[in-house]
Amino acid sequence: MTMADEDLKLDHLFADARRDRLTLADDLVVRIQTDAEAIRLERLAPTARPKRGAWTRLFETIGGWQGFGGLVAASAAGVWIGFAAPTFLPDPANLLTAQDTSYLVADLGFDTSFLENTE
Amino acid sequence: MEDLTSHPQDVRGVDFAANDLSDDALLRRFADGDAGAARVLTDRLGPRSFSVALRMLGNRAEAEDVTQDAMMRLWQMAPDWVPGTAKVSTWLYRVTLNLCVDIRRKKRPDRLSDVPEPEDGKASVVDRLQDEARKDALQLALSELPERQRQAVVLRHIEELPNPEIAGVMGISVEAVESLTARGKRSLAAILADRRDELGYDNG
Repeated sequence: MTMADEDLKLDHLFADARRDRLTLADDLVVRIQTDAEAIRLERLAPTARPKRGAWTRLFETIGGWQGFGGLVAASAAGVWIGFAAPTFLPDPANLLTAQDTSYLVADLGFDTSFLENTE
Repeated sequence: MEDLTSHPQDVRGVDFAANDLSDDALLRRFADGDAGAARVLTDRLGPRSFSVALRMLGNRAEAEDVTQDAMMRLWQMAPDWVPGTAKVSTWLYRVTLNLCVDIRRKKRPDRLSDVPEPEDGKASVVDRLQDEARKDALQLALSELPERQRQAVVLRHIEELPNPEIAGVMGISVEAVESLTARGKRSLAAILADRRDELGYDNG
């Protein structure tokens, strides 16, 4: 038998192999589809969650609810001190509306006598 | 090559519009969350991966595992796929062959009992036995080829891919593909000539 004959026989074998083109077993299709679905859902999950906005990020930066609670308490204390200061603290309202400011300048250690001469 | 995309009845429970889409478009749709696209891609590309894996490994269970693994990688890379750069099927063939190489490195020799059985029930018992003997012989002869020759021969003569696509799958030049397939075919012919009597060529 010549090489060309062998080639011809081989071509027949290839043709047989091609004729029996394979289909996937049902259980393999299920396995592949299960994988695909798991990956599809995994990929969809992050976009389904609400986006983290600027306020959310700030909230997390200050320590979540615990940090936020502390911040609220400190703010409330500040407001309360502003309205009803303990006696040992200067009244902040007076500080803001002080009429006589000369002692503030004097406290800086400058010579303020020239101010008195102009009057 | 048989056009698998032209047989919408092969696709299990999927709308016909999806069948008309390219592999690129289906992969994009899957990445965007379309479950139906995965079903069409499975029916379209899964058998190709399985066919090559079975010819490379000669073992049905291993070939099924390879196909599942290759398709898994397809699902995973879907969002990163750049349409138009290469064919999805080329990519899948390459992944399949690489997975087969990994398995063959771990295990030898082939289990010939797992060669696919003929589905034609009308053939006579003698014909069927002879047919199986031929297929076993082809599988046996293929298993004796060096890895790269075997890959080239399977892709060229069983999957009927054009040489440029085989070159893309194997990462070599078209000339190298031609050389591999020519040498592979010569080797196969020589192996089969030694077993002519077993095959019953001259009787059928």
